[in-house]
Amino acid sequence: MFDLDRILSRVQKPARYTGGELNEVKKDPGKVKIRYCFCFPDVYEIGMSHLGMKILYSIINEREDTYCERAFAPWFDMEEELVKNNIPLFSLETKTPLNQFDLLGFTLQYEMSYSNILNMLKLSNIPLLSKDRKEGDPFVYAGGPCAYNPEPLADFMDFYTLGEGEEITNEVLDVYKKWKEEGGTRHEFLCKIARIEGVYVPSFYDVEYNDDGTIKSFAPNNEYAKPKVKKRIIKDLENVYYPDKFIVPYMDIVHDRIMLEVFRGCIRGCRFCQAGMIYRPVREKSPKRLLSDAKKLIESTGYEEISLSSLSTSDYTGFKELAEKLLCVTESEKINMSLPSLRVDNFSLELMDKVQKVRKSSITLAPEAGSQRMRDVINKQVTKKDLLKSAELAFRGGWTSIKLYFMIGLPYETLEDVVEIANLGKEVVDVFYTLPKEERKRGVNVTLSVSSFVPKPFTPFQWARQNTIEELHEKQMAVKKNIKSKHIKYNYHESKLSVLEGVFARGDRRLGKVLLKAHELGAKFDSWNEGFDMEKWEKAFLECGMDYSFYTRERSYEEILPWDFIDIGITKKFLQSENERAKNAQTTPNCRVKCASCGAAVFGGGVCFE
Amino acid sequence: MSKYSFRYEKTGLAKYISHLDFVRAINRALRRAHIPVKYSQGFNPHSLLSFGMPLPVGYTSVCEIFEAELERDMDENLIMEKLNSTLPDGIRILEVSKVCPDIKKIRYAKYIIKPEFMPGKDFVKSFLENDTIVIDKKTKSGIKEKDIKKDIKEINLCGTFIEMVLSASNTANLKPDVVAAAFKKYGFDLGFCQYERVMFFDENLNKI
Repeated sequence: MFDLDRILSRVQKPARYTGGELNEVKKDPGKVKIRYCFCFPDVYEIGMSHLGMKILYSIINEREDTYCERAFAPWFDMEEELVKNNIPLFSLETKTPLNQFDLLGFTLQYEMSYSNILNMLKLSNIPLLSKDRKEGDPFVYAGGPCAYNPEPLADFMDFYTLGEGEEITNEVLDVYKKWKEEGGTRHEFLCKIARIEGVYVPSFYDVEYNDDGTIKSFAPNNEYAKPKVKKRIIKDLENVYYPDKFIVPYMDIVHDRIMLEVFRGCIRGCRFCQAGMIYRPVREKSPKRLLSDAKKLIESTGYEEISLSSLSTSDYTGFKELAEKLLCVTESEKINMSLPSLRVDNFSLELMDKVQKVRKSSITLAPEAGSQRMRDVINKQVTKKDLLKSAELAFRGGWTSIKLYFMIGLPYETLEDVVEIANLGKEVVDVFYTLPKEERKRGVNVTLSVSSFVPKPFTPFQWARQNTIEELHEKQMAVKKNIKSKHIKYNYHESKLSVLEGVFARGDRRLGKVLLKAHELGAKFDSWNEGFDMEKWEKAFLECGMDYSFYTRERSYEEILPWDFIDIGITKKFLQSENERAKNAQTTPNCRVKCASCGAAVFGGGVCFE
Repeated sequence: MSKYSFRYEKTGLAKYISHLDFVRAINRALRRAHIPVKYSQGFNPHSLLSFGMPLPVGYTSVCEIFEAELERDMDENLIMEKLNSTLPDGIRILEVSKVCPDIKKIRYAKYIIKPEFMPGKDFVKSFLENDTIVIDKKTKSGIKEKDIKKDIKEINLCGTFIEMVLSASNTANLKPDVVAAAFKKYGFDLGFCQYERVMFFDENLNKI
């Protein structure tokens, strides 16, 4: 083996690359049939915070025939050392070069990690393009939320798995083992897995384009490839596998705690939110199951914090029961509970009072839009009265710092709507100062955090035109100009990055060559200030003769969208009607109030059958 | 008072764990092992642990010490067994004792350095005969010169490795990689080195 010591002594945060953490799975690579590497295209501390990875790492390693290891994107300094010393990118567990694995599974959590995928393949000496890979090369595949538009990476991925991974991963591995034993060709393997529901093999489909660049046809060219690929879900979440151990990193990672996944999906149906659509229908775990998972994980990790994870924890039907029972455990074990995605009301504030033994940090509210009209457009069913009431409760409860999350660049938005963001911030400050001095603390901090909306596939806004960099900038400044209070802090995001994200979110497979070009120009770590360089991307588009505004334009209902061949259960008709309702600022009730017949009932489980 | 002293080693890839990360890892291991560590009172209770001189990242050690206050007395061997059964690779408790080697008394430490290139006796001799040994030290306000001569107690050549006894306290702490840099400045490059801390001493050079 190469001299790891010499390299690690020269890089920052060497613990990113050592492995060997508590609960790392150790197997003899010589005694397994399949060597699998779970690849997260970002640094260790981001990747190790990802719950999906923890689940799949454990589930794959439950198999005696497979050893699942981990790899992350090396930071700039480590990449330099690897290249300089001619060392291929290696796995954490056994330090095996990635090109010696059978399968590399990448998770696609955000579009701005795509350049890192190419970089990781290159550092592993694996041909970047799927068509260039030969017998003996690993199969490179991907899953995760961004795989719902797999097309921008179609040239690089041998296949995709769509939807929740617990079952499909094992099905793919079963087929792989059999194929390997029988000694088939790469093509034969792909033909075999194309038959599994939820598997998409990009090379088995041909795309034709119209003169205006839109898609003319998208059709299978292989007898085993399905015209429609249906996402996979776990119908019975109560009995799904969940790890009883998490790897406990030494390094301070982003989410360094036990995570309990209380449910999947979301009943709310906010029209901008992809997660709220692709994970439908809502499926819950019982408090009993969660409590038992919690106890096992406390025992096996020694973590001092536990967090409830979901898209909207307040919507969990067993929330009170779970919170009360968990509190008994956490108090006796001196464990902190963190409760993200909670609506601010009397119950949640009381609960936070109990669980947060540390001094009171800030409360976060997510109005998402400044004006009531816009909140109706996006179906965020919260009124200004609700928001100000929440703020008042928090101030009375002793909190002095409130963060408000907003988006700008939403469809059907005007400058007047945007200015309302600043006004709402002021009203929150006013709520504080109209409270009698005895009922609040001394000073208040309101943070307005404003991100730029990116239209995503499989949302009612998937047809919307994305705002240009200039429009976003104008809106950002409109908010800024209207903030007068010194108690208000204002944050906004780099709009160039949002536009690039939007291009890849709704892009087609012709973006593959742009990605390849940008990679050749050195694009990597695009979600990091240290990495993002719009000039490289602009150059890449230019050299490929492509105009990125093609991908940010408005689409018509008739147009074939690159992801139309994927069936997520929710119908296109539903998404269209939601978009029409948005135009008229009409809201749609949540799943528990009234079924909106979105189509997710086709999976035969969850909230649709409560 | 149920105060215990833990002597431990940090070897293999565990040497890349920084001191703060290591403290967190020990806290979690104590929780997993159900060793009833006492917690401080107040808003943000923390476990009552104290660590000796932080080990630099990249160094192994066979002589590290931390002290913990427990809620009640426990058998030393049982503590050690429970803790070792839940510690990750590279961290191992070597000894638990109720009699504390007081970490506040540490003044010197012995290190073993395995260099790529061994210096000759003459070089080391003349190195130590300098009246001052000045190195460039990076500080917040730029690079400053520092004389490290008084912090070098001993340097011995032992076949393929070098032994150094150097100051190790809050007021004066000299790391062997700094000495290696000084070697280079004074004419001999050790190349790539591996560092291990092997022993602590008090002011009279008695082993702690």
